[in-house]
Amino acid sequence: MTTVERMLENARVFAGVFFLCAALGGCATVFPQTAELRAEWPAGLPQEIELSEVPFFPQTEYQCGPAALATALAHLSLPVTADDLVKDLYIPARKGTVPVEMLATPRRHGIISYTLAPRMADVLREIAAGNPVIVLQNYSTWPIFKFWHYAVAIGFDAVSGTVQLRSGEEERLSIPLGILEYTWKDGGNWAMVVVPPDRIPATAERARYFDSIAALERAGQPAAAAIAYEQFLSRWPDDLGASVGLANAYYAIGHLERTEGALRRALDRHPDSVVLLNNLAHTLSEAGRSKEALELIERAAGDGPHAKTVGETRALILQRLAQ
Amino acid sequence: MKSICRALIVSLLFFSYQSTAGMIGTDQIRAAPAAQSERIHVQNALSRADVVSALQSMGVDVNAARDRVASMTDEEARSLSGKLHSVPAGAGSDGWWIAVIVVVALLLWWRWR
Repeated sequence: MTTVERMLENARVFAGVFFLCAALGGCATVFPQTAELRAEWPAGLPQEIELSEVPFFPQTEYQCGPAALATALAHLSLPVTADDLVKDLYIPARKGTVPVEMLATPRRHGIISYTLAPRMADVLREIAAGNPVIVLQNYSTWPIFKFWHYAVAIGFDAVSGTVQLRSGEEERLSIPLGILEYTWKDGGNWAMVVVPPDRIPATAERARYFDSIAALERAGQPAAAAIAYEQFLSRWPDDLGASVGLANAYYAIGHLERTEGALRRALDRHPDSVVLLNNLAHTLSEAGRSKEALELIERAAGDGPHAKTVGETRALILQRLAQ
Repeated sequence: MKSICRALIVSLLFFSYQSTAGMIGTDQIRAAPAAQSERIHVQNALSRADVVSALQSMGVDVNAARDRVASMTDEEARSLSGKLHSVPAGAGSDGWWIAVIVVVALLLWWRWR
């Protein structure tokens, strides 16, 4: 062995030892969530699963956003392709797609988009429940230059510590959980699922999921929103916001009987709610029952934040009674 | 350009007022005092108009841009207003990033073992 060879050998050993130290010291700080999963696999989560029936749309050019969303929507049997979604998602000057539009586009198809809590365990739980998860990754290792990419997580394996993705031109890309975590953190651990309105996501949190349904209602999809609010209320029956939302959704599709029913059910639980009283009074008055409406609107009188609307409703009822 | 913006703001304001006539909207349950809520209303309409014109200036057809913004929540539109140039935009072009993955994978493999 020459001196040069010995020096090289030493350098290699030195590098190896250095890396090992960094690994032992740094693992939990670089990949805290992966370390947690390795320490204790979440209860009730299967060891491995792969949703192999999830379709695949290979991305063209810079269009991983449309490809990823088409993958998730087509899995719900919606007849969309990546090309169809380009006009809804792609921003030419950015050569890409922003997360807000990934969330907004499914609503136009009457589908709910739900942003997951920033936990890897939640991503795995959604996959286990049959929901492919769209994740936003930064594939750049340099801090200044970001390389954003959307992929769809469709499977995982606890033993090998890997997650399977539909990604770019790769129909099945298997990467270690640690890499997913590493590439996922720069985008604020952003992940979403799409679900039909009659199904609640596996990891749905009350406030977060309410916002998802309200967004669907706001986007001009009252019929789909009504279905979702009904489901929501069967899980969280005392939720005032969802009760108001349900009634508003029925009102928007012109179903006054169901509007009344939803509001009366909610009034049993929240008898003093000004919002419920006003909306029920307004609904009854619209249905030609202004006498009943007047009794209700009197109960809503006061100087709360809705006083102006209540006053308008009352004036309208009185005007109708005078005719 | 300016007149398009103005027309947009007016139409967006009209839309948002119209949809709440009589019934108290789902998004108004936790309502702020009246004066404040009107100001928020105007701000929301302004940020929507801003995102529409930003999308348009970045190559999106104006009608498509309007539809796209219409399916956003007020909060989402506000989060993009003035920031459409800087928020993450997932792109992913052909192939080369796989090379980046390989490099990162090798590094991580070292640490994982």
